[in-house]
Amino acid sequence: MTDLLRVEGLTRHFGGLAAVVHLRFLVKEGEIFGIIGPNGAGKTTAFSMIAGSLVPTAGSIRFRGREIAGWPSQRVVHLGICRTHQIPRPFTGMTVYENVEVGMRFGGRRTPPRGSIADEIERILELTGLSGSAATSAGSLPTGNRKRLELARALATDPVVLLCDEICGGLNPTETADILALLRRLRDSGITILYIEHDMRAVMRTCDRIMVLNYGEKLAEGTPEEIQDDEGVIEAYLGRRSWMGRKEEIEEQP
Amino acid sequence: MSGAPASRTTSRTAYAIAALVLLALLAAPRVGISNNAIRLLLTTFLWVTTSLAWNLLGGVTGQVSFGFAVFYGLGAYTAGLSINGGVNPYAAIAAGGAVAAFGSLLIGIPTFRLRGPYFAIASIGVNEAVRIVMSNLEITGGASGLRLLQTGLFSQAEHYYAALGSAALAFLVSWRVMRSPFGLALRAIREDQDAAADVGVHPYRCKLAVHALAACLTGIAGGVFVYYSAYIHPDGVFAFATSTSILLMPVIGGLGTLAGPIVGAAVYSIVQEEMVVNFPQFHLLLYGALLILIMLFEPGGLAGLWRRLARGLRGRNAGGPGEGIAARQQPAGGGS
Amino acid sequence: MGLNDLLNLFVAAILLAGIYTAMSIGMTVIYGVMKMVNLAHAGFMMLGAYFALEVSQRLPIDPLVASVLAVPVFFLLGIATHRSMVRFVPVSDEPTLPSLLLLFGLWLVLQNVGYSVWGADDRSIFSALTMATFQFEGIVVPVIRLVVFGIAVLSLVALHLSLHHTWFGRSVRALTQNREAGQLAGIDTGRTAMLTFGLGIAFTGLAGALLANLYSFTPDFGGSFMLRSFVITVLGGLESFSGVAIGAVIVALIETFSILVVPASYQHAISFILLVVVLLVLPGGIEGLLQRWRRLR
Repeated sequence: MTDLLRVEGLTRHFGGLAAVVHLRFLVKEGEIFGIIGPNGAGKTTAFSMIAGSLVPTAGSIRFRGREIAGWPSQRVVHLGICRTHQIPRPFTGMTVYENVEVGMRFGGRRTPPRGSIADEIERILELTGLSGSAATSAGSLPTGNRKRLELARALATDPVVLLCDEICGGLNPTETADILALLRRLRDSGITILYIEHDMRAVMRTCDRIMVLNYGEKLAEGTPEEIQDDEGVIEAYLGRRSWMGRKEEIEEQP
Repeated sequence: MSGAPASRTTSRTAYAIAALVLLALLAAPRVGISNNAIRLLLTTFLWVTTSLAWNLLGGVTGQVSFGFAVFYGLGAYTAGLSINGGVNPYAAIAAGGAVAAFGSLLIGIPTFRLRGPYFAIASIGVNEAVRIVMSNLEITGGASGLRLLQTGLFSQAEHYYAALGSAALAFLVSWRVMRSPFGLALRAIREDQDAAADVGVHPYRCKLAVHALAACLTGIAGGVFVYYSAYIHPDGVFAFATSTSILLMPVIGGLGTLAGPIVGAAVYSIVQEEMVVNFPQFHLLLYGALLILIMLFEPGGLAGLWRRLARGLRGRNAGGPGEGIAARQQPAGGGS
Repeated sequence: MGLNDLLNLFVAAILLAGIYTAMSIGMTVIYGVMKMVNLAHAGFMMLGAYFALEVSQRLPIDPLVASVLAVPVFFLLGIATHRSMVRFVPVSDEPTLPSLLLLFGLWLVLQNVGYSVWGADDRSIFSALTMATFQFEGIVVPVIRLVVFGIAVLSLVALHLSLHHTWFGRSVRALTQNREAGQLAGIDTGRTAMLTFGLGIAFTGLAGALLANLYSFTPDFGGSFMLRSFVITVLGGLESFSGVAIGAVIVALIETFSILVVPASYQHAISFILLVVVLLVLPGGIEGLLQRWRRLR
């Protein structure tokens, strides 16, 4: 697998606060790359810099060898990297259909839609479980559906890399399982996924590789098994005793 | 063509009514309506033009300009000077639109890049600055204004149709834009500019484009006006009161809709006629109070009231398309 | 044009900068906390001027004292305005359309109420101090300008103290920097907004009253001063309190010294043209220039 995204020395200060410090990692094409860490660890800030919502204070972000650090989000989206927001930001005065349509028409699609645009939007809505809500005003959606809409809108831009920020927040276990299955299907269809999540079980089961952040710095990087066994991670983040118990629980899952 | 099935707000009856109204308007000068009525209609058409234009920028895209009269005046002066220079009146009017569009770029290019109130503030400052400069510029007549060198007979019908034409143009442009993907992008910018950029919209370019479009239409209205009235002066076409009127009409009628600005312009024209006669002092006070009341109680203006009424009669529905001004959500900030 | 004359102009400019700072800080503080541009600023300045006029004429109170009385009166007026209308409009990290239009409407109402009540004639305030001058080493300073400057500076010192030593002041500074973080930290944004608006209007009314002691006025009075406030706050970086002082000094200097180069008919336009130039050339203000340009493209 080739290196799709290479991040080096990524740093972001907010006044005196260092939110992200000298972050260095590699994302390979076609994998689900998880990013975990306690609150305030800098996960969303890192996402924002990759997606173009924030300008890095320092560092380099290379997509397919091309330097994109500091690029505005619309250029980054056209290149093929699209993000969802941790707190959903739907276009509340527009319908669900129209929300997705914005992404479809302006996301710089790399592949032509199979069939008409309307068909493609319907397909994405079905994929994300929003078929029945096409005509609903996005402002009236409950949180769970807003998260789905974030995903649908991002998918409409035909991304090469999808940045999912806590896409399972507010979903019940069944819905979570559906979304995770969707992520895996998307990966299998060729989309690379970066995935911020708090739900440990979801992360360990879905991700090919994981990076752990703490206080803006990388604590560890590796496969789920390597992370689970990493002493530093366990101490800082997972908590030894509670973790050991949960580890068995996770290993028992189908 | 954009929009889910539920987005259609026009129906067959609406089309039919519009067609009938248009026919009536076209026939008006021939049918022997009083000259006064023709004059009122003419003025209304010009207001409809500026109203629809401002609505594209303020209603659809959410960018508030308090100084739109600057484009009206630029269009009027450009056309006036061109006509005096021997240019064909309609070419002169088009030139007025073009100059106004160019002027819009001068304001938009520096201010649309920035976060904050810069565009709104700049619009006030530029309007007033241009007014003062024009009041002092001798080439264009200074404070005494510009007079058209009269050639040929005055045909009220010709000016009537020119004004109707500009209103029709503004309507067509608004209609096409609102139904187009471009219109979708504009609405997305109004809703949440950052989220729009996060899915590939170019907010800067779109704002510049719609600003130029709106300025051009307003400039054309100014050109039609100077051709008709044969006399303009800075304290009229560049007046702050003119800018206020321009923004008030679409706000009253319903920002972000197609019918709203038209209704707002019509209501404003009629009320203005009555008020200027009976209460010459109070109109600005009334406008201010109206703005306050509308913002507090029904930001969607008359169109919003209409929607509320319709929904109340129909019973609870799963929301409608395009709520006029949607109350903006607190945007997401940094988290983990 | 001798050194003496230049020095006189310079002193005049500095004295003007003092009152300009007090005038603009009201707008800055409201924008910082609520992200609203107070377009009704001009209306409240006008009310301040007529307040000083009416109080000093109807009661045996010196106009400058009346100006100081404007502070509590306008503070309450600001709170009343906030509670009755301002708090109902949606807010965001940028000025929202409803907030802009609401305050604009309020400006129209206030200005035209002014015309209705007081008419369009020029009014002036005279007191014992109006004609007095103070001489120092060849520099002639009208006493009244000195007193106005003094009151303005005192009010700014009071503001500075309250910003750094009260819970309210801390809330204001926190919300100005990062609204969301402030909310998460438990700051009562509603209450802070209300008090901030009151504070902003208090300064605005005070400035209007003080300026009425220096210049003649009509209900139109606030308009050009509001434009100056825009220029000053933009120059100062919109949310920076110290920046306001810098902006005020720059604007006062330009205005004062422009008498030497600008023809009389354009004098009136100085503030507008300055605003246009600043917005088109230096919109982020001196302090925010680099930051704002990089964040957006």
